[in-house]
Amino acid sequence: MNWSRFIISMVMPACSLHVMAGGSLDTEQSKFEQRLERRQNAWLSLIPTHFVIQNAGNMGTLSAGIGWSYGKGRKWETELLAGFIPRHDSSRPKVTTTLKGNFIPWKIDFSMISASIPDDRWKFEPLTASLYINTVYGHEFWKSQPGRYPDGYYDFMSTKFRLNIALGERIELKIPESKRRRHSRVALFYELSTCDLYVRSMFQSSSVKLKDIIGLSIGLKFHTL
Amino acid sequence: MSALLQSSCSGFEAHPYDVNIKGATGINARQTAAIEKAFADKDELRIAFISDTHLWIGDARDQVDDVNRRNVDFVVHCGDLTDTATEKEFEWSRDVLMGLNCPFVALIGNHDFLGTGNQTYEVMYGPCDFSFIAGRVKFICLNTNATEYDYLAAVPNFDFMEKQFTSDTDRFDRTIVVMHAAPYSDQFNNNVCKAFRRYLDFAPGLMCCIYGHDHNDTISDIYGDGLMFYAIDCAKHRNYRIMTITKEGYELEQIHY
Repeated sequence: MNWSRFIISMVMPACSLHVMAGGSLDTEQSKFEQRLERRQNAWLSLIPTHFVIQNAGNMGTLSAGIGWSYGKGRKWETELLAGFIPRHDSSRPKVTTTLKGNFIPWKIDFSMISASIPDDRWKFEPLTASLYINTVYGHEFWKSQPGRYPDGYYDFMSTKFRLNIALGERIELKIPESKRRRHSRVALFYELSTCDLYVRSMFQSSSVKLKDIIGLSIGLKFHTL
Repeated sequence: MSALLQSSCSGFEAHPYDVNIKGATGINARQTAAIEKAFADKDELRIAFISDTHLWIGDARDQVDDVNRRNVDFVVHCGDLTDTATEKEFEWSRDVLMGLNCPFVALIGNHDFLGTGNQTYEVMYGPCDFSFIAGRVKFICLNTNATEYDYLAAVPNFDFMEKQFTSDTDRFDRTIVVMHAAPYSDQFNNNVCKAFRRYLDFAPGLMCCIYGHDHNDTISDIYGDGLMFYAIDCAKHRNYRIMTITKEGYELEQIHY
């Protein structure tokens, strides 16, 4: 996987530094040490690179989770979120989980846009494209139509899983190294999203307009790596 | 920027099945009160029966425009207000029905149960079984979507039927039973089809039954005993029925628009 390789490439220089600090010229590792290092690196790659919190987006009133950024220029992200839907007028509150993939093709330094921002502290990401699957928990929701229905009755849908798409933008602030406490970068983003059922409704009815099915979502990302 | 976003989208969406209803709720109670107040003792009634809106919202809007031109007293929607029972769809079909220039009530259809749809229906419209009296005729609107409950619920609710047959008998002489799914359909609890028919014998002056669900305009004597069942077509097929009730009887006219 791309991102595990990325993490490994980050960790490797640190390891070699350590070896050099030891002053040993014997850089040859035993088979055991190599395996140990590979295993440790594999596990290290599972450490999330960022935390994310966002509202709405058809995955709960508020969702929070962990994410991993990877690939060349960190153009790819995978996130795992848990969301909460308050009771509102229903019988009880609900919990959701979301698996989300983001693609961020461009990162633009503010310093390139405006001379008044001299350093590379601020970055603008003019497009984020996301695809995510949301699962809502509760006996009301089913993965595919239960056996009580005749064949093909509600075959076109699942009430439990929603496939969503989103487009958005971000601004990112790199925290100066002297001021870093927990995070290296913080990003503020918005997304415009919709889900499979709504897209379907637009195809079914010409009087359903795009603006009727698009929802807004705002969130923050805290990068730790 | 935020103004642009506000105008180009529908705001923060927590979930399609979040039952966070914006706008009018408790519609059936308010509308039946209006119907009873205006038409309790009226000699002649004109009622439009429409059904199965699903996602044919444009057709439903044309239907409402057509009904508005035909001088009806009130409208009964026979269920399937939505296709996938998302809260948005409930709001869309409600907003179409709100365009009617007369009172209306709506039954719950099987599609309106998906996800938390039945909870949304109950908040937006009210209990799944309800009744009202107009022109000394009692309209008993029954939830017959037994398959949605895996046949575990009291659907059709015989206790509710009995209560309706025996209460307020001084205020009505005749009865019309409205339901979404007719007996012997894929939604009806077909184990009780005959029991249901027997129970209907207790309905004072039973005139006929009206239902939706089948997306056709069938008129049939389902039990072969003279009790007529009138199907109301779906919005897509662009027709519905207007019933005229007089002291002598009733007439049904199929309207194409």
